[in-house]
Amino acid sequence: MELTHDEMEELLGVYALDAVTPDEAEAVELHLRDCPRCRAEVAEHRETAAVLAYAGSPAPPQVWARIAGTLEAEDSPPPWLDLARVVSMQDRPRGGDRRRSLPVRFVASMAAVAAVVIAVLGVQVSRLDERTDRLDAALQKEGLDQAVQAALFDETARRIELRSDDGVTFAKAVVRDNGDGFIVSDNLPGLSDDRTYQVWAIVGEQPISVGVLGNDPGVAAFTMSAPGVTVLAVTAERAGGVASPSGAPVVSGMLPVT
Amino acid sequence: MSRSPVDRQSTGAPGSEEGSVASALQDMSDGGLVVAIARYREEALAEAYRRHAGAVFALARRVLVDLTAAEEVVQEVFLRLWTQPDKFDPDRGSLRSYLLAQTHGRAVDLLRSDTSRRRREEREARQTAEAGYDLEHEVWDLAVADQVKQVVAVLPPAERRAIELAYFGGHTYREVASLLGEPEGTVKSRIRAGLKRMRTALKSSDLTDTDLAWS
Repeated sequence: MELTHDEMEELLGVYALDAVTPDEAEAVELHLRDCPRCRAEVAEHRETAAVLAYAGSPAPPQVWARIAGTLEAEDSPPPWLDLARVVSMQDRPRGGDRRRSLPVRFVASMAAVAAVVIAVLGVQVSRLDERTDRLDAALQKEGLDQAVQAALFDETARRIELRSDDGVTFAKAVVRDNGDGFIVSDNLPGLSDDRTYQVWAIVGEQPISVGVLGNDPGVAAFTMSAPGVTVLAVTAERAGGVASPSGAPVVSGMLPVT
Repeated sequence: MSRSPVDRQSTGAPGSEEGSVASALQDMSDGGLVVAIARYREEALAEAYRRHAGAVFALARRVLVDLTAAEEVVQEVFLRLWTQPDKFDPDRGSLRSYLLAQTHGRAVDLLRSDTSRRRREEREARQTAEAGYDLEHEVWDLAVADQVKQVVAVLPPAERRAIELAYFGGHTYREVASLLGEPEGTVKSRIRAGLKRMRTALKSSDLTDTDLAWS
């Protein structure tokens, strides 16, 4: 279906409402791949339609029960991961000639099982990456606060309470497995423009700079890739940061043991 | 997870681990929720359901009429969000509009594959059009919030009727043209113009997607 751009534009409203034939829908979708302006228009039409669909009725709980039931059913291990079935009772060594030949079969079958398990786990891990990578990138666009929310929600992330010696000044940090760290504090006092807060990971007794936070951080990101970190500390330094801390930490805290 | 997402606010004492997770979820943006869903967090799906399933169900019910079919569409839409969360592209719009577009597409597919229902709907629509009565009059009045009604009120009747027949009636623009006895090009233009008109009205009102999502 060959259409001019003007003809294509005329279809955008009805396309957004699913009021086109399958041929027309296909033509519009092809066009949208290369036309950001038309993509934006369709997105706007859909947002408007979403407002029309608005209804104050509550979510139907009986449907949620069915959805939750389906998810729970999916939680059971897939049949091809059931190792007990792969090596059946009949194949167990019982004596005689079979005793010699079976271990080879057993090893071979276990190797096959291992290969399947590795492949399956590999697929699952890459699937999870696919599910999260693009969304993570999009999330970063939404801003730091959103990334912090995601980190706070991450159960595997380590949480650190940082305090000053007198306990008056405090901050919280969260570090994800990938090293992405965020520090949140609403009571670190603001510094002058020529100063900055800097965050240090202490490995043994060696401080390693993991981020320069600015003079009024509130929420700030840092990256902590070094292993064996026991303590996080924040110092006040000259703007731009320094190679090693010049004074005592403003706040510090121990990392939980993993 | 068997408890209802609708009741979840009442569970978990404030300050408890469960309470803080629930609270983090309630404060989380839709984008954050979808990332959590991508990490197979069922409670994030429950929160998305709590926020949007009411609108999803209402739209499916409106298009399909049949309660059971509408519930099946709701189930399908949220299970698809669970299995394919990466289909949602935050750059292309809100989670709510994404879910509703999925819902509408699926409902319309069902409607168009069901020829007997189709015939019935067309007959009803034709009668309605002939009688000069707004097909969705009742819905506009009962289900649409006052602010939304104000936005809809900017539509000239001809644009409004074409949008109603296409969106809630599930008709193609060619069918709408036939039902209204108007040229296809006119119907296409009216629907597009009407959507743009409402968009402009929405932008100038204080009504935001967030207001709707949390209502």
